[in-house]
Amino acid sequence: MNDAVVIIPALNEEKTVAAVVNSILCAVPAVDIVVVSDGSTDRTVQEARAAGAFVINLSANLGIGGAVQTGYRYAKERGYQYAIQIDADGQHDPADLPRLLEEARQGRGDMILGSRYVERTAYRSSRSRRMGMILLSTLVRLAVGYPIKDTTSGYRVVNRRIIELFSSYYPFDYPEVEVLVLLHRNRMTIHEVAVQMKERQAGVSSINVRKSVYYMVKVTLAVGLELLRKRAIEED
Amino acid sequence: MNIYILGIAFSVVFLFTVVDLMRRRVLMEQYSLLWLGMGVVILLLSIFPQWLNGVAVAVGIYYAPSLLFLIGFLFMLGTMLHLTVVLSRLTKRTVRLVQEIAILKAELADGNRTDPDGTDKTDGTDKTD
Repeated sequence: MNDAVVIIPALNEEKTVAAVVNSILCAVPAVDIVVVSDGSTDRTVQEARAAGAFVINLSANLGIGGAVQTGYRYAKERGYQYAIQIDADGQHDPADLPRLLEEARQGRGDMILGSRYVERTAYRSSRSRRMGMILLSTLVRLAVGYPIKDTTSGYRVVNRRIIELFSSYYPFDYPEVEVLVLLHRNRMTIHEVAVQMKERQAGVSSINVRKSVYYMVKVTLAVGLELLRKRAIEED
Repeated sequence: MNIYILGIAFSVVFLFTVVDLMRRRVLMEQYSLLWLGMGVVILLLSIFPQWLNGVAVAVGIYYAPSLLFLIGFLFMLGTMLHLTVVLSRLTKRTVRLVQEIAILKAELADGNRTDPDGTDKTDGTDKTD
């Protein structure tokens, strides 16, 4: 067993999940990989297992937050020191992973966040999307006290302290932004490292135009509430 | 038959219904207290309508029965808030259960695939299940 585990939440990603697992194993051989299938109805589970991942198959769809947390709970239970989170759709390049992991091992931060300073995505940033990003950055900056460039990145390496934190509480949906504030409130440090983001290879983004209003309201509310709490951890 | 007699009849039937649900263990005690409380309040206000009038005059409501609506409305608000709190707690527990079961199942499957001496049996000839 290695001391680092890669957590890949996957919902019906049969086309890409095997490639993602393989590319991670090529880039960083010394990690274990756990794929959390959030009630996939296609061949995601079989594909991931065949590619060599440990697969946790949720019997009911819990949403992204619940799926990711399953990975962290597994990591906590098995005693992993580092957990890496990466999307199953292929937009995160595992080639950056050794660098991110090294930063984590050197203790540059409790969470190392892979940030796309340069966006090379296929869906061109619309004006409303850019506005949203700016709003989120401002919000996070106000809440955290220092700027974070890519507030919506789901590409990250966390240490044992955060694995334990996430095991007891993890946001239900649209977790990226809320997590940043949660970590800050629990005196964890966040360190950003530039990475390349590729266009997603298959599937659709969980955020479409219709959902973006809900997204903004939910995230703003979550950040506001987070600020009202003293410490977020309460095991139940 | 005036509204107060109707009120008494209604609240008595309501209280009996709640108690019957509790008796048959359809309704858990912890959630029934709210309903019992509401039944008792309506019953008292129906038997002693002058209480309602007194309160209505005191807070400046000219039409006393509308105070009854206000009380009913506030009670509903409280109950629904309570229900969503309960629902949130249930959701949290369900999520935790699904997560734990999934992890256990995955570990179990992993254990079955590997012999105690470490040799892997997974060459596509899985005879279990």
